[in-house]
Formats: sequence, C-alpha cells, structure tokens
Amino acid sequence: MRLLTHNMLSCNVKGVTNGFPLIIQADKVLEKPAELNHDFLRNMFYKVDWKALVDAAKSMGYSELPESAEASMLESLDFLNRFHHALMELHLEEGALICPETGRKFPVDKGIPNMLLHEDEV
Amino acid sequence: MVVQPQRDWLSFYQEEDDHSAMVHLSSNSITTDADNDVGLGRSRLVLKKGIAEFYDESSGIWENIWGDHMHHGFYDDGSSVSLSDHRLAQIRMIEEALSFASVPSEEEKNTSTAKIPRRIVDVGCGIGGSSRYLARKYGAECQGITLSPVQAERANALALSQGLSDKVSFQVADALEQPFSDGQFDLVWSMESGEHVPNKMKFVNELVRVAAPGSTIIIVTWCHRELAEAEDTLQPWEKELLDKICQAYFLPSWCSAADYVKLLQSFSVEDIRTADWTRYVAPFWPAVLQSAFTWKGLTSLLRSGFKTIKGALVMPLMIEGYKKSVIKFTVITCRKPK
Repeated sequence: MRLLTHNMLSCNVKGVTNGFPLIIQADKVLEKPAELNHDFLRNMFYKVDWKALVDAAKSMGYSELPESAEASMLESLDFLNRFHHALMELHLEEGALICPETGRKFPVDKGIPNMLLHEDEV
Repeated sequence: MVVQPQRDWLSFYQEEDDHSAMVHLSSNSITTDADNDVGLGRSRLVLKKGIAEFYDESSGIWENIWGDHMHHGFYDDGSSVSLSDHRLAQIRMIEEALSFASVPSEEEKNTSTAKIPRRIVDVGCGIGGSSRYLARKYGAECQGITLSPVQAERANALALSQGLSDKVSFQVADALEQPFSDGQFDLVWSMESGEHVPNKMKFVNELVRVAAPGSTIIIVTWCHRELAEAEDTLQPWEKELLDKICQAYFLPSWCSAADYVKLLQSFSVEDIRTADWTRYVAPFWPAVLQSAFTWKGLTSLLRSGFKTIKGALVMPLMIEGYKKSVIKFTVITCRKPK
C-alpha cells in the first residue's frame, strides 16, 4: 500500500468523527522504484493532505519531506523527487492502519489493507 | 413476505438488520417490510462471507477461461458472436458506459462541464479489469475495493505484471462502508457489483459521498423489471426465479431501475440517466454456459468448489430471466454538482 492510498483512507466505524489520518504501524516497508510523472504529481499535490503525508512517511522511515509545502515548490526537481518517493515508492507490506480516535487496527497483509468493519462497528 | 402499512419509502432502503427473513425482492418499496432488505434469512456478515468465499473460490477459474473482466459484454443487437469476440465486448461495455455517462476525454475537456477522471474508485472491483483499463485510458489513479482477499491479491499481481502498480491499488473493503474520506474521486464506478449489496440506499449514499464535486457516478447492475401501476410486487414465479439466482450468487435482493433513480433523486445529484441494455447483453450467458461445457470448463468446475458449481448450474436461470424480461441489465449514471 502506497502513501497515496493511505492519504485517502479513513476509519468509518460508527460514531467516529476523526478517523483521518490513520496511524501507520509499519512492520514491513518496501521501497519499489516507480517512474516519476510530473503532471501526475502536480495534480496530486492539490489533493493530498500534506501533514498526513509527512507524518505517514516518517512512520515508514522517510523524513526528507518538508513539514509544509506550497505549489511553487513543484518547480524544484529536488522537491518533486522527494514528494514522488514518499507518495509512490514507499510501500507498507505488513503492518496495520490505526484509527486515531478509537485505536481500532486495520491489518495490512501483503500490501493489501483490510478495511472491513465488524458487525458492531457499522 | 410481510406487508406493512404505508411508510416513508426512504426508510425501506435505510433499514437493514440481522433478522432471519424470507427472501426479499424489493418491489413497491412503500408496502414491503424494510427489515427483509437483507434477504435470504442470513445476517449481513454471513452474506459478506458468502460473497467473499464465492469469489475467492471462483475468480481463478473465471479468469482462466474468460480473462480479467468479470462483467457482461456489450454486443450489437441481434449479432452472432464467436467466443473470441467476448473480450472485446467486455471492453466495449466499459466504453459504452463511459459514453452513456458522457465522461469527457482529454480532447473533450473544454466542451464538458464534467471532470476528466484523474482519481477513480472501482466499487466491487473483482480482479481489477475495469480499474486497470480505466487507469490506462485516462492516465488516472484508481482505487479498487472488493470483499474478496483473493481477488485483491490477484488484482495487485496483475497490476504489477502490467506495469500499472503505480496507478492502481486494491483494498479489501465493503461498498457499504467505503474506507475513503468524502469527495475523493472524479469517477465513481460500480460495474456489476450493486447486485451484491443489501442496502441500496446506503450503497448509493456511499457512492455519492466519495464522489467529488463535478464528478460522474456510473452504476451498471442487474435489476428486475419495472412494476406496472397496479402491481405491488413481482409475480410469484418471477420471485421464485430470482430467489434461486440470489441463493447461488449471494445476492441479497433486487430492485428496479426506477428504484435506483428514486434513490439518486433523494440526493442532490443532477443529470440522472438510465437505460435498459438487456438486448445488448443477450449473447453473454449462452456464451458463458457454452464455455462451461468445454473440456477446460468442465475440468475447472470439477476441481473448483461447491459454490462455483452451484453458480454454473444457475446460469440457465439467468438466460431465462433475461428472455422473460424479469431481469433487466441496467446502466444508471448521474453527476455530482460542482
């Protein structure tokens, strides 16, 4: 699971108002190279919750993202590379995503998050 | 079937529970018991488990014979088709649905008010055939959700082998509780998955919730025929036919295209359109049936499990359902306002 996906996922357990962002328990992280796509990154920049991305990247062992970012930084290749690396090349293979409000753990197995809720959480 | 006094029609679709219930086929929603929405006398958990296991068991066999698209093909009216044409027809189904919903391409972006898909969700993604196709077509990023862990894993593996793993990813999740924050996607895609969802209102609610302003929602699904003015419900023989199909394919309940339109109208979406494409899918089930009787088909089925075999045995009922106009292959689309 890449951080691009993580940036979209939230905990929808009944009654939870603050289910985003999910805290990452990174048991196994893999780095998989991916081709950098400028247009894609520019599009995604406006949609991504930056703080959530920075925190998530740190929990995956990558601390090279600036704490805050603005659109003008997209002109810097160095920034694009870091953004690309964090968003697209870090993969959570094994671990869990944890609801910030309830502590509920969603397991991640072979890179696939299981977001199914239990009967009493619906 | 329990009949209750007039009640607000919306509540029919909102309620769902774990009661054991008779098979419920939604018809005139006002007079039917909302508690039966789950159907089949099973709790929702049992239904979800059944669906997951059905696809865990059968996806590999399907893929082996039919490839990675697990939906009907779109055929010219009255055409005769050879087995090799079906994959093209399945791709055509995707294109026809996009065209019906007027989803703009890069060339059309200045003439359309709708968004070009950059972020897509595939609700009930199977092994990711649609996801990968749409990602490739639009250069977009696509998230797929399925109840089946086997499907999610296979979908990811196929994405990797096709060089699309940076564009598409798959999660195990429930269409009734999509694990996404509001307004994430430009295109919300549900290709033949709505049949499995017990609570149609919640299903539609989730589709609308995760759609971004200006986005398009496309639902392609199996519905039952529209009821006549005087009808409260389908005929007993029709219900019996659909029950058997429900049992084999883990479908909780059926509704009509008009029911979906009514649900969508309760949300602030615009440009709601629907069409009956039954005549364009006519060759599909006969072809699936034929493929089951090939050597490959029979040996695969014999090696598969009970759920898959039961699914195969029910195929003639799908053909009957279409022929007798009980089942309608339906496309529904709408736009979320900007």
